[in-house]
Amino acid sequence: MTYRIGSAQGFYGDDVTRALPMIEGGHVDVICFEALAELTLAILQKDRLQDPSRGYTFDLNIIASKILPGAFERKIPLITNGGGLNPAGAAQMVKATAEKLGLDGVKIAAVSGDDMLGRLDELQAGGADLAHMESGKPFAPESYWANANVYLGALPIVEALQAGADIVITGRVADPCLYLAPLIAHYGWAWDDWDKLASGIVCGHLLECTGQVVGGNSLAAMEDGIEAEDLPHLGYPIAHVEADGAFTITKTPDAPGIVTVNTVKEQLLYEVHDPANYITPDVVADFTTLALEQTAPDHVRVTGVSGKPRPQKLKLNLGRVEGYMRELIFTVGWPDAWHKVNQLKTMIERSWDGLSIKRIAYDYMGMNSLYGSIAPLPDDPLEVIVRVMFTANDENTLSKAVRRMMNNGLSGPAGMSISGTTISAKPRIILGLWPTLIGRDLVTPSVDYLEVSL
Amino acid sequence: MTKRLYDLAFGRSGDKGDIANISIIARDSAAYRTLKTHLTAERVHDYFGDMVRGEVIRYELDNIEALNFVLHGALDGGGTRSLRIDGLGKSLAGALLYMEWDE
Repeated sequence: MTYRIGSAQGFYGDDVTRALPMIEGGHVDVICFEALAELTLAILQKDRLQDPSRGYTFDLNIIASKILPGAFERKIPLITNGGGLNPAGAAQMVKATAEKLGLDGVKIAAVSGDDMLGRLDELQAGGADLAHMESGKPFAPESYWANANVYLGALPIVEALQAGADIVITGRVADPCLYLAPLIAHYGWAWDDWDKLASGIVCGHLLECTGQVVGGNSLAAMEDGIEAEDLPHLGYPIAHVEADGAFTITKTPDAPGIVTVNTVKEQLLYEVHDPANYITPDVVADFTTLALEQTAPDHVRVTGVSGKPRPQKLKLNLGRVEGYMRELIFTVGWPDAWHKVNQLKTMIERSWDGLSIKRIAYDYMGMNSLYGSIAPLPDDPLEVIVRVMFTANDENTLSKAVRRMMNNGLSGPAGMSISGTTISAKPRIILGLWPTLIGRDLVTPSVDYLEVSL
Repeated sequence: MTKRLYDLAFGRSGDKGDIANISIIARDSAAYRTLKTHLTAERVHDYFGDMVRGEVIRYELDNIEALNFVLHGALDGGGTRSLRIDGLGKSLAGALLYMEWDE
């Protein structure tokens, strides 16, 4: 018998209802939902500032109302880091939803201990210098930080599962550790059995981007002829994990998608740096010893993963608001399109004299917006779409900049047009991230439980 | 027809902060040997020019016949700051696979 992990979320906004066919078909023993990209927590901080009961992902409302009932009935635990900045608040919401749905006996676990925002002074006093882990720059304590969350490992989730939780809600847990946790809980792997832990990490890494291992964002799948009408309905991935750590990646049966050695290779290296040293809180995984084998259609077996001892330090990521950006899109056409582009640029910059615009960037969509200087520009184009990006410290300055450009609507280069939807668009927030390392002894995760009793 | 890197390999790209990575996955063992010899980190860095402000590091995976390129300072500050339309670097694999190839 293998232990079967389903993956039904890879980002905040993914379609978590792909969990339903996994549950209803009896295809999985546990389902994980990974919701937190690097910047998601800083976005959730905006929600929390407006309402202290928020700060978790909206997807959790769908998980609670649509996924939990069937999962609870079939005793399939759900694990999610969508608690974001407020796992306790998310747990309260899930409890209230479960009560309304009459799910008597549901046990909800909320993991805390990743939020370091209130402990920055204490961490520094305790010897952590909080220097930037890539540039080595010293930490600037006067900066305003919106969030500060350390990447936790699998331990608190394992504890919650062993305590019988039906849904485990965490904040910042390293993505693949969400998937490693149920394996440790189920198989009882030792915390220093590095090869098995690393195998669980590779399994989690392959699952954590949902559609990307079953045909999404994939040249390999495109070459294999995946159908466009299948892409919005991909059957999300499932891993069948063996007691020794070897596992098979497949997809939800009877659902669209494709799993081949090549789709697995693409996902294996996705957002990876040194493949021999993939660092997680629980183990350092080595991807250079594993082997892949297509054992059946849409089944790829992964064996031979090796691991090294876990790091002594954990990654802490701080986020802050650094300003706002806006986009305007202009079009100019033949004749003399490049001359008109130059006139447009000068006009924009003169219009903004006296405004504190921090950065301006131009690119020509369809010509160099993706591939930069790799793409040669045509000498005498029929049309040029000019994308103008500009930033300021505050939203009001950006609104003024747009209004001043609009004042030039009838005074621009011949035939110039502006995309109306970009005029009415909202500014986007600019977030600065500060990744640093702290000793694991400074981090103490804990688990709290809520139980529905009707 | 011009031969391109895409004839020998496929791949995928993504981001971590201001660092992008591009996997180049060989289509067969012969292609992998050629890529390992000729597709150096320097060559990739030269190809991207001013799009990549920092260093380029190459990692080799003989077990799956793939190379992994890590491009520092490749995303105009990273997904949360970048003014590029593809601030997450999703298209960079395509940019590299477009490289003309005569080896």
